[in-house]
Amino acid sequence: MSTGVVNPGAGRPFHRIAVVGIGNVLLGDDGFGPLAVEMFRRLYQCDSNVEILDLGTPGLDLAPYLYDTDLVVIADAIYPHKEEKPGTLCVYCEDDLGSSHAQLRLTSHDPGVQESLTQLRLAGHAPSEVIVVGVVPESCGLGKGISLSVLNTCLVAVDTIARLLVERSIDCRRRHAPVQRTLWWLSSSA
Amino acid sequence: MARISIDPVTRIEGHLRIDVEVDGGKVQKAWASCTMWRGLETILRGRDAREGWVFAQRFCGVCTTVHAIASVRAVEDALQLEIPANAQYIRNLILIAHALHDHIIHFYQLSSLDWVDIATIPKADPARAASIAEGYSNWPGNSRRELEAVQSKVKGMVDSGQLGIFSHGYWGHPAMRLSPELNLILFAHYLQALEFQRKACQIVGVLGGKTPHIQNLAVGGVMNAINLNSLATFNMDRLGMLQSLLQELIPFVQQAYFVDACLLSGSYPEWFRYGRGVANYLAVPDLPTDAKATQFDLPGGLIMKGNLASVQPIQNWRDQAFRSAVAEDVTHAWYKGEGAQTPWKGETDPNYTDFQADKKYTWVKAPRYNGQPIQVGPLANVLVGYASGHPLTRKWTDTAFKTISSVHDSGAPGFNLTPEDLQSTMGRYLARAIRSAMLSDLALQHWQLLTDNILKGDDTTFNPPQFPSHECEGVGMHEAPRGSLSHWVIIDKGSFTNYQAVVPTTWNASPRDAKGVPGPYETSLIANPVVDPEKPLEVLRTVHSFDPCMACACHTLDVSGREIARVKVL
Repeated sequence: MSTGVVNPGAGRPFHRIAVVGIGNVLLGDDGFGPLAVEMFRRLYQCDSNVEILDLGTPGLDLAPYLYDTDLVVIADAIYPHKEEKPGTLCVYCEDDLGSSHAQLRLTSHDPGVQESLTQLRLAGHAPSEVIVVGVVPESCGLGKGISLSVLNTCLVAVDTIARLLVERSIDCRRRHAPVQRTLWWLSSSA
Repeated sequence: MARISIDPVTRIEGHLRIDVEVDGGKVQKAWASCTMWRGLETILRGRDAREGWVFAQRFCGVCTTVHAIASVRAVEDALQLEIPANAQYIRNLILIAHALHDHIIHFYQLSSLDWVDIATIPKADPARAASIAEGYSNWPGNSRRELEAVQSKVKGMVDSGQLGIFSHGYWGHPAMRLSPELNLILFAHYLQALEFQRKACQIVGVLGGKTPHIQNLAVGGVMNAINLNSLATFNMDRLGMLQSLLQELIPFVQQAYFVDACLLSGSYPEWFRYGRGVANYLAVPDLPTDAKATQFDLPGGLIMKGNLASVQPIQNWRDQAFRSAVAEDVTHAWYKGEGAQTPWKGETDPNYTDFQADKKYTWVKAPRYNGQPIQVGPLANVLVGYASGHPLTRKWTDTAFKTISSVHDSGAPGFNLTPEDLQSTMGRYLARAIRSAMLSDLALQHWQLLTDNILKGDDTTFNPPQFPSHECEGVGMHEAPRGSLSHWVIIDKGSFTNYQAVVPTTWNASPRDAKGVPGPYETSLIANPVVDPEKPLEVLRTVHSFDPCMACACHTLDVSGREIARVKVL
């Protein structure tokens, strides 16, 4: 399966790569982004120039984490322009964000992705490529946990992130055995 | 009479709606309504008290660190557990770096465009701008070359018609009054600010192990292993890295941000007359300098009715008066129950009714201090410090006043401010810059305290907590970027049985209470000018002065409630 995202900088080396998850882990499927990057960390081993970050809901505080990166892969809950079933995986390039193809989660905590990118571009420190790996949420209620539809897509999303990196000649290999990470917010609830 | 309802979609965390009634170009009445439920505390009930901070730091996406700190302090207070001096200093350095990051973002990214008209930048003379800027500070980012580069970027953006995220600004609004040169200087710093936000994040990361969402906290101290002979731990290299990051960050705060706030103050002097609001101020002591937390580098205190001479100190976190004074009233908030309750007995039981100006209209409770509304934030912090004779507060406040008196852009030479003038919309912006300059001095002092203590041979960072078999209660305080924060906990056999966070925005965005007395946002808007009800820029200036961190979608309504205009505001 192709990721469908054309690599505009083909052949050009990426020096600093960030794989970031956005969303609130306490609010159901809004926690898709953080879950996806933690699962990616468990299952894949990358070059040391790949930073894997659970950024929560940073708003405009996002900019410092993208500052001077070359490639950014953002995992996030999204609402596409046409209605899609919960759990649908959607991959977008940066140009799609400004158009009607995708709308990033602009509700209870707008991640400010576009604002941050515009500021970084004006300041001359923006990434050259931005890819969003999004999943359509089912429910973002307090303390609800991740729904089954989003959880099922999560593994596909993780493999997609890996493929996007490999397509760009970034060293990213599946681990022989997953590393143990505590996904504390999914552990026994009260 | 026009009724304006500003119902913003916040860019960060939490939704705020402001309704104002305007007559004769001035606001007559105001209501602040939080339209998102903040019931996150309920998920902490029943959790292990040692892990509460991990959840608490996800309350808000921006103030992660502050909730983590308040949570561990609350549990330590309940256990009367002292933490090692190293742990105090490491926490303090994290708090300072976080606050500087937050204040820089607020000034430039979240509010400067209420005052800076970027559409005039193409008309600026960069040589003149450079000479103006160099007259106030020796910040290297003020060079003519730098300013020319920024101007050409803005020109490119304006010429191509691609203002992007800036396309919704109030460009050309009559309340915008800076010269093209000052607009250019401030916008150049707006772009440079991004680099220094990154440095502040790196400081938090070096100490906290990860940013955002620090990993190094524990009830009882911090988990940083200190061993000067080990490469894998907190050692001299790490301390050196920390020092260089601080030395790179501080000049931006003191030579760019602080000076810009003074330039803005001197250029908009009338904004020291608007927005006073509730003149009761609370600041809690913070940045302890000893293990037992008996001495603090930021003094706490209470000022009532704007009378600085009446300041009553809050000496430490065990202050009994504070514990008995705080109560939250739900008369006008969408919760069940009546009247005011101490947070320890607070309930978070929703009762949504729709916006009813005379009854319930917000998700924010009304916290009261001995029955009175209170304003919190950097202004409270600076006023309490100034009134208590705190030398560092006096140093930077007096420096600000001196700088402002030399700003002639307003055509009002000899403009002399007093601490009383700070009780205003512009005073809140200026106080935040004064506090940032103070914090950047304190950053190096606390780095030195930590280094000296480690070199003395103290490598302890953690005292293990022991939970009693009986119920105990505690309060964790922190003077956060937006003001006094307190987490109130009840613990039984190591687990929370109640958890309430009284956050700065709750104090400031408070609705009316049982007696009908409005909160700080609401009061501060009375008599605020509104030249053009379709572009209520002036209302946003006052609301943003509290740092609610939001972008607003403004819906302007006529008396019948019909929407006549919609303006998206940055």
